Amino acid sequence: MVKLKICGVTRLQDIQLINKYKPDFVGFVFSDSTRKITESESKILKENLDPQIKTVGVFVDHEIDEIISLFRQNIIDIAQLHGSESQEYIDILKDRTNNQLKIIKAIEIKVEEDLNKLDYDCDFILLDSGKGSGKTFPWQLFNRKIKRNFFLAGGINKDNINDAIEKFHPYAVDISSGVEKDGFKDEGLIKEVMERLNLIKGRYGEYGGQYISETLMNELLFLEEEYKKKMADPEFKNELDTLLKEYAGRPSLLYYAKRMTEDLGGAKIYLKREDLNHTGAHKINNVLGQVLLAKKMGKTRVIAETGAGQHGVATATAAALLDMDCEIFMGEVDTERQALNVYKMELLGAKVHSVKSGTKTLKDAVNDAFREWIATLDTTNYVIGSTMGPHPFPMMVRDFQSVISQEIKQQILKKEGKLPNAVLACVGGGSNAMGAFYHFIEDEEVQLIGCEAGGKGIDTPYNAAALTNGKIGIFHGMKSLFNQGDYGQIAEVYSISAGLDYPGVGPEHAYLRDIGRANYVPIDDNEAVNAFEYLSRTEGIIPAIESSHAVAQAIKMAPEMNKDDIIVVCLSGRGDKDVRSIAQYRGVNIDE
Amino acid sequence: MSKIKNAFKNGKAFIGFLTAGDPTIDKTIEYIIAMQEAGCDLIEIGIPFSDPMAEGVVIQKSNVRALKNNTTTDDVFEIVEKVRKKTDIPLVFLTYINPVFFYGYEKFFKKCKNLGVDGIISPDLPYEEKGEIEDIARKNGVDVISLIAPTSQERIQKIAKDAEGFIYLVSSLGVTGMRSEIKTNLKDIVEDIKNVKDIPVAVGFGINTPKQASEISQYADGVIVGSAIVKIIEEYGENAKQPIKEYINSMKKACNNELE
Repeated sequence: MVKLKICGVTRLQDIQLINKYKPDFVGFVFSDSTRKITESESKILKENLDPQIKTVGVFVDHEIDEIISLFRQNIIDIAQLHGSESQEYIDILKDRTNNQLKIIKAIEIKVEEDLNKLDYDCDFILLDSGKGSGKTFPWQLFNRKIKRNFFLAGGINKDNINDAIEKFHPYAVDISSGVEKDGFKDEGLIKEVMERLNLIKGRYGEYGGQYISETLMNELLFLEEEYKKKMADPEFKNELDTLLKEYAGRPSLLYYAKRMTEDLGGAKIYLKREDLNHTGAHKINNVLGQVLLAKKMGKTRVIAETGAGQHGVATATAAALLDMDCEIFMGEVDTERQALNVYKMELLGAKVHSVKSGTKTLKDAVNDAFREWIATLDTTNYVIGSTMGPHPFPMMVRDFQSVISQEIKQQILKKEGKLPNAVLACVGGGSNAMGAFYHFIEDEEVQLIGCEAGGKGIDTPYNAAALTNGKIGIFHGMKSLFNQGDYGQIAEVYSISAGLDYPGVGPEHAYLRDIGRANYVPIDDNEAVNAFEYLSRTEGIIPAIESSHAVAQAIKMAPEMNKDDIIVVCLSGRGDKDVRSIAQYRGVNIDE
Repeated sequence: MSKIKNAFKNGKAFIGFLTAGDPTIDKTIEYIIAMQEAGCDLIEIGIPFSDPMAEGVVIQKSNVRALKNNTTTDDVFEIVEKVRKKTDIPLVFLTYINPVFFYGYEKFFKKCKNLGVDGIISPDLPYEEKGEIEDIARKNGVDVISLIAPTSQERIQKIAKDAEGFIYLVSSLGVTGMRSEIKTNLKDIVEDIKNVKDIPVAVGFGINTPKQASEISQYADGVIVGSAIVKIIEEYGENAKQPIKEYINSMKKACNNELE
């Protein structure tokens, strides 16, 4: 979702407005301007600012020491450079702050050729018409996609903000004079800008949205409102945190896979052990959040779709814990290959519907879950298991899963004193990947790699690689990438892994791919099965066949990397449920 | 101006639905003509989709049958072309948005214009997302039909204000399909709509008996029936023409309060 930076705050009453409307970033101008503030003024503003809002210092060819001093005093999180600062200057700032200070390099766009100068090695770029001139740059120059995260600045106001976002798909918009009246920040204008941003909520570039029946629209709006309210409520947060800690077993371990590292002879490999969570997968992170939210909303029943059965088991578990009725929709094909999980869900008190429509797999389970929800929305919340579906689901699921990257970041900094070179995760709908990527999106130096189901090969019809083979489309409530046939019929897809056997992908992944922030690679069945067996033998950890796709990519990459490089693999689930089908794949019959 | 207003000229409108290509393309053409002859005032032609999320079992199965015959969007246009040689009854497409998106909005609506399709109903394109097609459809004289549901409440205001052609009022929660009872207070919703805009309101989802049609016609401008017609096609296959005609005849009479 597009972030907002309000730049050039000078007074304490501005900070009060900022705290009230909560943009993502606030800008302190230290260079010559009518909005220039001194170090001591900035200190007071920062002390009064909501600590969740990040501060950006704006500079023009300042002394490096001055910037570093502001950073060390915790006055700024990010430095925005508007002068003729070189790459070397940026590198020194990065080096001396151990990469902790984020850098935005501002670039003035006057002629089309200026768009060729965007390849600074820094966290973000900012496109402006001048040094905070308050005028828009010639927007008609833009006919190409900017393949990196950028801030859009220059003359943005309530009247053009929606057009600007639609045209440019920026990471964030930067507003200063656009929310000022008589030279000062104005509450009415800030409020109006926030409202307009809300109108385009649920968009990740061109992807996302709410393509769903009118009957469900008010329910989705209500869900979003309640979600926002509860997430801002310390009591709810506390209850959820306690569940995650005491019930799910968080934080999950970040385990150094020593034998695997030595065997592959390259980068150090760490495994984020989501498989050790209660119910054996990352799914519980999201489910505890959504089921608790449903309960607080006064619902008495939850429904969910499931592919491999992991999300179904997690939902049934949370429903048992929180005393809610629970019904799970699962494709008939999946109930057969994951029979153990069906029995588990029933054991937990849930009713399992075997879905016989369409291809009888995950996508049809989603269809039937939506059909059920639309008839029962008075009593029921639909607990979607991945970063997909109509807004607010992709956002909500991502937020609940982002605890994964939050923990990885803290854990790896503690163990290694630096960020990893790459984070790897498997992608079906993309929830464990979004969770593992999210807090690293701002760290451009960390490669994010999603591993899709290549099935029997991406050149065959038997795969589920929506990011590799899919086309843009609109389905299951979202605009995203989907495997589809002629005339836009959703394709039948295939993977050995029931959890990745889905013909689409969450909208935020499609966006991360487009802007080049994440890469997605297909891993075929054979590679995944080999990785499944390899990790079992090498580390004594049996990974889920889904997660084995990410392990396979680590096996490919690690030997090519240096010994002091670090790879983190999100081990999204445990593999007990897959033992039978892997045996079958190897021609071993373990059922008598 | 589309021809949709003509559907509401002749007393209360009876609107019938069928899925293109079920059981065959030729039969769809034949059945559309039969529906018109039996008293339909407007016909909704469903473009088959692999995943009709808002449909109950009857129409889901009909989509499966149509896709088994490899019915494509181009085939559906061919149906319209042939139907248009015989009748100028108002026609609208009922389609999920992905087949339209995939075909290309420009190309799709230009064809609609050239062949005489008067409107489009897309169950997965709510008010917030209608910008996808609004301008292109308008440019080509195709009405984008808005849906209003029992849950719409305060949304009725803005939806009705921008509505074109007629309003499709969803009778109850859930997916399409025949229901024995409709509990929603539809009369109030119709009034709310009329307070915002003078536009025909037709009620659909669940209606299948003449009695229901007659009741709804007391306060709405039209009745929409899908699953009951599709069920006849499921049962009679290629020989459904006569039963469809008889059914529609009785429903149309009920709409005009001429109960047998």
